[in-house]
Amino acid sequence: MLLIHCPYCEDTLPELEFTYAGEAHIARPADPSALSDDEWRDFLFIRTNARGPHYERWRHIGCGRFFNALRDTVSDRFLTTYKAGEARRPLTNEAAE
Amino acid sequence: MTNQKHQFDASPVVVEDLAPALRLSLRVKPAHRETLGRALGLDLPTRVGSRAAANGAEALCLGPDEWLIVAPEGTDLASPARAAYADAPHSLVDISDREITLRLSGPAVLDLLAACCPRNIAAMPVGAAARTVFDSATVILWRDGPTDFRMDVWRSFAPHVRSLLTQVRTEIAAGL
Amino acid sequence: MSRYRISGKGRVDHSAPVSFTFDGKTYRGLRGDTVASALLANGVHLMGRSFKYHRPRGAVSAGSEEPNALIGTSRGKGQFEPNTRATVQELRDGLVTESQNKWPHLSFDIGAVNDRAYMLFSAGFYYKTFMWPKSFWDKIYEPVIRGAAGLGKSPTEVDPDRYASRYLHTDVLVIGAGAAGIAAALSAAQSGADVTLVDENAEMGGSLLSDPAVQIDGKPAWDWVEAQLARLRAAGVRLMTRTTAIGYYHQNMVGLCQRLTDHLDNPPANAPRERMWRVRAEQVVLAQGALEKPLVFDGNDRPGVMLAGAAQTYLHKYGVKVGDTPAVVTSHDSAYFAAFDLADSGARVAAIIDTRDAVRPDLLEGARKRGIQVLSGHTVTTTKGRLRVKSVRANPVRGTHVGAGRDIACDCLLMSGGWTPSLHLFSHTKGSLGWDAGSNTFLPDRKTEACEIAGAGRGLWGYEAVLADGAAAGLRALEGLNRAGHSAAFTVANDRPGTGVTHTELPTDGNPGKAKAFIDFQNDVTAKDIRLAVREGMRSIEHVKRYTTNGMATDQGKMSNINGLMIAADALGKQPPQVGLTTFRPPYTPTSFGAFCGYLRGDTFQLTRKTPIDPWAEANGAVFEPVAQWRRAWYFPKAGEDMHAAVLRECKATRASLGIFDASTLGKIEVAGPDAVEFMNRMYTNPWTKLQPGRCRYGLLLGEDGFIRDDGVIGRLSPDLFHVTTTTGGAARVLTMMEDYLQTEWPDLDVWLTSTTEQWATVALNGPNALKMLKPLVEGVDWDDFPHMSCAECTVAGLPARLFRLSFTGEVGFEVNVPARHGLTLWTALMEAGKPYDICPYGTETMHVLRAEKGYIIVGQDTDGTVTPQDAGLDWAIGKAKKDFVGKRSLSRPDIVAKGRKQLVGLLTEDGSLLQEGAQIVLDPNQPKPMKMVGHVTSSYQSTMGHPIAMAVIEGGFDKMGETVFIPMPDGVRKARITSTVFYDPDNARLKA
Repeated sequence: MLLIHCPYCEDTLPELEFTYAGEAHIARPADPSALSDDEWRDFLFIRTNARGPHYERWRHIGCGRFFNALRDTVSDRFLTTYKAGEARRPLTNEAAE
Repeated sequence: MTNQKHQFDASPVVVEDLAPALRLSLRVKPAHRETLGRALGLDLPTRVGSRAAANGAEALCLGPDEWLIVAPEGTDLASPARAAYADAPHSLVDISDREITLRLSGPAVLDLLAACCPRNIAAMPVGAAARTVFDSATVILWRDGPTDFRMDVWRSFAPHVRSLLTQVRTEIAAGL
Repeated sequence: MSRYRISGKGRVDHSAPVSFTFDGKTYRGLRGDTVASALLANGVHLMGRSFKYHRPRGAVSAGSEEPNALIGTSRGKGQFEPNTRATVQELRDGLVTESQNKWPHLSFDIGAVNDRAYMLFSAGFYYKTFMWPKSFWDKIYEPVIRGAAGLGKSPTEVDPDRYASRYLHTDVLVIGAGAAGIAAALSAAQSGADVTLVDENAEMGGSLLSDPAVQIDGKPAWDWVEAQLARLRAAGVRLMTRTTAIGYYHQNMVGLCQRLTDHLDNPPANAPRERMWRVRAEQVVLAQGALEKPLVFDGNDRPGVMLAGAAQTYLHKYGVKVGDTPAVVTSHDSAYFAAFDLADSGARVAAIIDTRDAVRPDLLEGARKRGIQVLSGHTVTTTKGRLRVKSVRANPVRGTHVGAGRDIACDCLLMSGGWTPSLHLFSHTKGSLGWDAGSNTFLPDRKTEACEIAGAGRGLWGYEAVLADGAAAGLRALEGLNRAGHSAAFTVANDRPGTGVTHTELPTDGNPGKAKAFIDFQNDVTAKDIRLAVREGMRSIEHVKRYTTNGMATDQGKMSNINGLMIAADALGKQPPQVGLTTFRPPYTPTSFGAFCGYLRGDTFQLTRKTPIDPWAEANGAVFEPVAQWRRAWYFPKAGEDMHAAVLRECKATRASLGIFDASTLGKIEVAGPDAVEFMNRMYTNPWTKLQPGRCRYGLLLGEDGFIRDDGVIGRLSPDLFHVTTTTGGAARVLTMMEDYLQTEWPDLDVWLTSTTEQWATVALNGPNALKMLKPLVEGVDWDDFPHMSCAECTVAGLPARLFRLSFTGEVGFEVNVPARHGLTLWTALMEAGKPYDICPYGTETMHVLRAEKGYIIVGQDTDGTVTPQDAGLDWAIGKAKKDFVGKRSLSRPDIVAKGRKQLVGLLTEDGSLLQEGAQIVLDPNQPKPMKMVGHVTSSYQSTMGHPIAMAVIEGGFDKMGETVFIPMPDGVRKARITSTVFYDPDNARLKA
């Protein structure tokens, strides 16, 4: 069972208080009708399925907030977490520590 | 406030039902927090898990834009909130009947909670509260004293939570 | 006094006899014994039969790694446990034990014929033997294998014991309370850190309990242990015995299984048998020590052949001499001490056979002093004895030449192939292992967790070295907490350091192909099985393991892994690190299901939600069904009624006059704020802008992929306030989905969501008399302006209420919401007021029938996550003028607008029979198999119209109205006609009544 740092509660808490919510930084297009069928298909279904650092979203039961995380899918470790709406955290060595 | 007690003599843990109270779920954006707090006569705390009390009412910050307000039944917070709606748009929903509240206390209360709460409850400061999980039920846990807690649990989950509490209390009483 | 018990010796209580039975015979042991030590004290070595060959077996170890001495234990009714390790089970008064895998009895076992036919049962015999003919598989092989397979017998009764769970958060968790673990805990307990020390045994002290002659800081080992444990206790360290660390998970979460009552004669009432601890530690110190390896030679599994360290433990901990004339075979110095201690306790040691040419002078001197002959540079080629070892054959080895052997009489044979660091928990963390060529063993290498490894667990030997290492590890753990402490030093007298060498099979002068030289005792894997596996093409150690089953028994290869690896590497012509180890997985030792379940059994097996009206339903004989997490009243049978009769009565009563239904489980969400209507427009397919306050509308929710996710009636209570209802099962999911959009896509909107599912108890009234019955109870509603699909805040029976006029039955209907605490009061009041109308309480089954007659869908039953609004015939619910809503873009995706999609239609069977939900539909019943399936039945009921009705999704169904389709069933093919889904009152005349 992992420990997860909630960026809203500023606390590191057991995984049982969290739920996974899919890949992060996939914004809903502002005007879906402007997208071609292929573009819309990609938005709906195409994911990176990363082996290694993966940008993803989690939700904390405690504060009810969705937030972003960078997690290594090989080791399962969280490299960092940050609030929804914040820019994608770079893949620095620090983050990978 | 207590209206029902289940207690063995010298029990290391006491579980009691608390009488109903007014419970309101308040949602407001940070920009309007202060305005609305003034209207309600409450200083709405900003740190998740912290509480503030005034005039018999207490506000618990559950999230960046979410507060739980508990007050004696009959308290009118809806009218002042409505009056401030135009300046500080918000949502104030009566959830008095959504949850029931249990009081958990006694010298072994931390063991009782540690049976089903994955969070480190012992590390929770007195005067704080948290929305967390007890077994598979979401609960709000208030720490009122070193061995004194309140637990708000959704009404339909209560039979399950009570049954677990009874099992663990029995286990603690067995002394192993 | 039992024959092999040494008066006054050991840590057992000689003044407290304990009686127990083994295979029906009563034995006496002492308080503090294990079943194994008590049997050995009585001279019983034969404790079981092996799994495959049914060979006689005795205890080979004195600990949890035991592969052989597996017994069934009974503590009382329903308290039977198979495969208990006799070396772990503590004696308790009246314990009933039995041996396993034998028939008719242990000393004469028919199954032992397998041993004679052992050539048939070599590695991979399953794959080779049971190949053909195909028809034999079901009739012959499978039943025979099933009959013969398995270890022990399964319990047949419900386990009456209680099991418990506990979370624990600690600064430092030290696993293993031997010399290293105690030293580590002493270091870590400085500076007020919260320290937990656990040990799987009944007593702490580890191997020090088997080495009482060792002195630490001037104190005899046992006194030292006692003093240190007292110090730890005084420092507030949590000391937990009989507690096995079973698994080491992410971020220092360790699972501990604590055995609480199995050793007690009279456990306290209601005490749990075991407790599972889920420990989160800042720092972990692994001080699990090392496990002794057997040597591999023909007949190394005979009862009486055991590990030298085990004999030493039986002697010192339990005061049991495992034999009068032991012989010793070893490749490690440690076995000498076992021989010496036994000799000093009156045993006549027949010989020490050492595989090494050179032996340490002090050990030779120790042997000489005691008159023990040492045969260095020797091998053991076989043992003799049927149910107990009688002699061992020792042969000199010169280079590769094995000389002539001689038989040495003995009544037990103590072996030591050296020691393997216990790497299991470390390996659970995916920490890497490094091969230490010097000691021919794997050691912990790169760590992935905040943990320290100390003592024999990282290859150290001798107490002085181990204590210093433990103390240092404890200090590093403390520093990991950013706390400081000072380092401790220990002086050790009479230390027992040692080294050894590692072997494959011992050399032999016989035919190695005929040797029964066991590696895995529990799964009966021999050295030749490993070599055969390599010859037959297995290259990876994982394949060798599975082909031979080496290390796959309940002991998970604690004794066999390294021996298996050495032999496989030899056969492959590779170095051991190139071959590698198989994966260790939790749990470390077999763990009861009860411990994993904890409280989650019986009433609390899973969370069951109950409505405020549930007590009435229970008191009035409802039959319940689970719906999502809820239990809901399914139907209310009257005396003599079966389900069909009850449901038909409930349906007819509702259609004829008035039915009442507990709809409290419906999900409810308060959508409030200035942007509420904008939010509703974006989320739901329907248009909401023009919906007036006081009116309701059916709402349809899609996923972004265009498929139906949920539906429900939504009321607008004021311009800024919507009362949204969802399906029972969808409540949490829908709220989460809405929150997701609000928080991450549209944070600019001023609207908020609050779950009110449980704030309101909801009672549905349906039937032609619903309005007449309800009217007098309601205050605050203008009935002249309250048509179908209206809502209002008012009072009902004097209770504050939200009243909805809507229908899920096709009759005039209402849903009354009152604060949950009043739910039962409302229900009772309505039942009373409904008496003149023969009000009929109905359950979910009637609700399903009535809605199906009207063609109303149930999301999740008639839809399955691949159904669009068009597929379900719900185009009318789409706000086509809206520029966007969740899922809109997908409704024009190529595969959504393609021809031939499955569409929801009605079905009426030609012969009036009831179809089965889930049954597959074909267009031509005479086509060859596999048939082309064009859809399936989603809903099917007996109806109030005298014939069954069904709904189905069928490819191109809308264009097939009136056509006949076929539903092949095991008892024949059904014919059905495709119809509209609306079977009842298609003009909605009754709704408007």
